[in-house]
Amino acid sequence: MNRDIFILSNGRMKRKDNTLYFEDEKGEKRPIPVEQTNSIHFLGQVDFNTSLLHLLSQHQICFHVYNYYGYYDGTFCPRNPKVSGFTVVQQSAHVLDPEKRMYLAKSFVLAGIHHMLRNIRRNGSNDTAYSDTILSMLDRVESARTIPELMGAEGHCRQVYYDAFGQLLKNGMEWHSRSKQPPKDPVNALISFGNSLMYTTIISEIYKTVLDPTVSFLHEPSSRRFSLSLDIAEIFKPLIIDSLVFTLLNNRRIQEKHFESKDGAVLLNSEGRKRFLAAFDEKMKTTIKHRKLNRQVSYRYLIRLEAYKLIKHFIGDEVYKPFKAWW
Amino acid sequence: MFVIITYDVGEKRVGKVCKKLREYLDWTQNSVFEGEIQKGKLTKCLNELQKILSDEDSIYIYKVENPNHLQKDVIGQDRSFDHTFF
Repeated sequence: MNRDIFILSNGRMKRKDNTLYFEDEKGEKRPIPVEQTNSIHFLGQVDFNTSLLHLLSQHQICFHVYNYYGYYDGTFCPRNPKVSGFTVVQQSAHVLDPEKRMYLAKSFVLAGIHHMLRNIRRNGSNDTAYSDTILSMLDRVESARTIPELMGAEGHCRQVYYDAFGQLLKNGMEWHSRSKQPPKDPVNALISFGNSLMYTTIISEIYKTVLDPTVSFLHEPSSRRFSLSLDIAEIFKPLIIDSLVFTLLNNRRIQEKHFESKDGAVLLNSEGRKRFLAAFDEKMKTTIKHRKLNRQVSYRYLIRLEAYKLIKHFIGDEVYKPFKAWW
Repeated sequence: MFVIITYDVGEKRVGKVCKKLREYLDWTQNSVFEGEIQKGKLTKCLNELQKILSDEDSIYIYKVENPNHLQKDVIGQDRSFDHTFF
């Protein structure tokens, strides 16, 4: 129920009367109920001071910072009271054992491919050529013995998946291939922006559990980045971001006029960003009936459940089965 | 659950109650707050309010368990809030 706040304009975020206030450039103040806030995304230029940080840490609110182009810069997460050395040791043990690591890495990849196929099936024409090709490549994923081999097989599947985009996108949106840093066309811009949002959302959710966000399986656990969120994003990127991109473009809710071109990079303009964020927020709040829990859970909470399943797997409670949309 | 909270408290405590409620809900009119809130959060909020209140004060809480059952009409100026984007 707690909401994410997106700050698109420039101004000042401050603490007053033990709650949050956003003051825009014109000096107009708007209160934000702190108890209802999940995390804050700063996409505009925003000032703040440490007393705001104190309040955010008291309420365990993360904030994410994006640069001028909408790329993810970083996150302030309050001191995490949820730590468990035992789980971290077990989590690391699963990286060190090649067999255990492969099991998890494969799970992420297979769930991701499951969602890619789902997208093709749901948005595509009757042409089954693309999904057949992907299905025929699944063997290579299953039989991969090393991480690079798995990554390669996954890359090939993804290649075919992106080739299928041309068919899935209606309304004549331009599409050649996936390009990033910088995205070269509107569709790529949407995917890139969406993926940044996905990573930050997953980081927020991982932080609510005892998992260590830097110890990952599919991606090499290197330093300087929260690679576990990249791993989990494999599952949710096609499910959430890609299908959102299709919906928005095919229903013309986002059009050519919502993009701007800068030095060869195509980016969303402020209206486009706002539309995408509104749709993303809406999507994360939609609920589905969970078969095991037997209650309504939101897409956002599904991500947290994924983290809980991993913990159970690490401590030897229950074998991890990746989330695959069944509806 | 959707709640509407109205309060009538001594002048000295109006500010305190207002500030407390601002942490949890959206301010709609003088002495009126409303918004979506979880049960636990509401209990926490009311407990905190209890500490501020004096004997002659009163707070009314209107609960709508299913927000779909809420119909809200506004006459005159509507202060609608954008809760997500600023």
